[in-house]
Amino acid sequence: MEFLPYIYLTYMFISIYMLSLFLSIYFKNKNNFFSYPKITKNYSISFITPAYNEELTIKETIEHIFAIDYNNVKEVIIINDCSKDNTKKIVEDLLIKYPKLSLINNEKNLGKASSLNKAWETLDSELVAVVDADSFPKEDALKKMIGYFDNEKVGAVTCPILVKNKINFWSRLQSIEYITISFGRKLLEYIDAIYVTPGPLAIYRKKALEDINGFDEKNLTEDIEATWHLAYNGWDRKMSLSTGVLSKVPTKIKPWFIQRRRWNIGGLQCIKKYYHVIGKKGMLGAFIIPFFIINMFLGLVGLSIFLYLISTRFLISYLSVKYSIIANTPIITLNDLYITPSILNYLGIILFIAGIIYLILIMNTLKEKIKSKENFVDIPFYLIFYVIFYPFIMVNAIWYFYKKDYIWR
Amino acid sequence: MTNDKIAFWHAFVITLFIFLIGIFIGILLENWRSNQISNLYQQSELDLLDIKLQSEIYTFGEFDCKDAIEKNIDFADKIFEEAEIIGRYEYASKLTDNIRIQHKKYDLLRTNLLLNSIKIKEKCKNNYNEVVYFYKYNDPSINTKAKQEAFSKILEKIKDEKGHDLLLIPIAGDNNIIAVNLLLKNYDIKELPTILINRKIKVTDIKTAEEISSYFK
Repeated sequence: MEFLPYIYLTYMFISIYMLSLFLSIYFKNKNNFFSYPKITKNYSISFITPAYNEELTIKETIEHIFAIDYNNVKEVIIINDCSKDNTKKIVEDLLIKYPKLSLINNEKNLGKASSLNKAWETLDSELVAVVDADSFPKEDALKKMIGYFDNEKVGAVTCPILVKNKINFWSRLQSIEYITISFGRKLLEYIDAIYVTPGPLAIYRKKALEDINGFDEKNLTEDIEATWHLAYNGWDRKMSLSTGVLSKVPTKIKPWFIQRRRWNIGGLQCIKKYYHVIGKKGMLGAFIIPFFIINMFLGLVGLSIFLYLISTRFLISYLSVKYSIIANTPIITLNDLYITPSILNYLGIILFIAGIIYLILIMNTLKEKIKSKENFVDIPFYLIFYVIFYPFIMVNAIWYFYKKDYIWR
Repeated sequence: MTNDKIAFWHAFVITLFIFLIGIFIGILLENWRSNQISNLYQQSELDLLDIKLQSEIYTFGEFDCKDAIEKNIDFADKIFEEAEIIGRYEYASKLTDNIRIQHKKYDLLRTNLLLNSIKIKEKCKNNYNEVVYFYKYNDPSINTKAKQEAFSKILEKIKDEKGHDLLLIPIAGDNNIIAVNLLLKNYDIKELPTILINRKIKVTDIKTAEEISSYFK
């Protein structure tokens, strides 16, 4: 496979390019990285939280919403989407304590997007905040996010998602991933390329939601779709890096894999819906959609090459061992262990080190502001073992997408 | 904010710069390795010429078989070690194909050595074994790769045991060298890899070192 070095070089070029792009945006804007527009207008805001079997977290979520420091919260609506556990009872018990709290019980399970649509249309506030039922906004969240809406072009504002339950190795790796994504999302704001205002906490201008007809009920990632739709209709998306929302993440691989598969299926649904926009509609067509497609393509090609190399190496080793046994010679010799690195190996190592430095830069930049301390020892594991799962999830998601299996899991 | 979109171009220029430096360093590294092989080759070429001239000079007087055979085998051992270095450098060579050319030159050198050995054997008693290992160099299949890995280990083991009683010459059999093609035709070798023992016995299947050694004189 003589073309392999060229593929490696292409991957390296793209990796260096993305790293250079992010670093160049960062260094240009690092002085105002954490700044946010001060509130000049007392916008009215309402919260919507769809809940399905959230008895373990819903109370804390509601308490966090009511603890937010802002004086013009109109309403907090919990939509109980036919939970089979005690979610309904827990919310009902809180109705007396919080007069602004209300509960909508769906007669049948509608799904997240439909539940959101059912609620936001009834509101008469200027802004609508969506909070997942397993997420806990910080007290200063609104004060540091709402000011962005002074710009009439802004349709949605998001903030960093931080992992609340860093209880094991897997959740610690997700924590690194989440803060990396947050850092990246802030950088993308400077080039008008925020591609998602995620579910744990996103504030929408109600007018913008009306403009996009709310959330796409067929999409498994209604937050990505809504963000793309906003971009399509010319609305700006902003990111306040000075605050955050804590969220619970899967602590075991299987639920994590299922969650990520859903995200990927949703991403594919969005690509299918918006691919005709490539090259049009500002950064949506110029960067966001191509970025998603290239990312997917590179993941799949990378996985194919990885599997090809692993399987051929395995076959060669198997046959070589078989022949060595027949020939009564050593299975492995010192010569087999002697490796002469190629320039691609050196470049790979340099890129890996650059990746580690980039992550350390992110952690150091964010740790004081968002009070999320990560274990630096986890970084190499994150770069080697965690990221390697992505293409496998993508392949699985493509299969489900092909089967049109769009069930929320 | 829109001005930040110039970051795409900045990043492109930075990437291009880093990338080109990387490629440049890579080419320098590979050329340096190729030069190292080239230097080794030049020395080996001189050594072979020296051995061949010695053989020619012996024809004027008494032919010192012991000395000629010893020199021949020493030389074969030397280029066998160099072949390992070439193999490693070649595997690590991703941007240039200079080392492939060096490999071809070494194949010619080994063929030359084989011819010298044939000449010596004609003049002297056949008191050493001559093993020529013809292997597949270009795009070997998975099975061929595995087989060649095993053959290399077997031959190394035999060489370790026999030492100076064995002249071992590995030659790429598919490197488009006319002299090698003639040898293959002459010894009716149609399959790679093949071990040719004393120009008579051909081994194409995996056998133990002991079995192969049993074909020796």
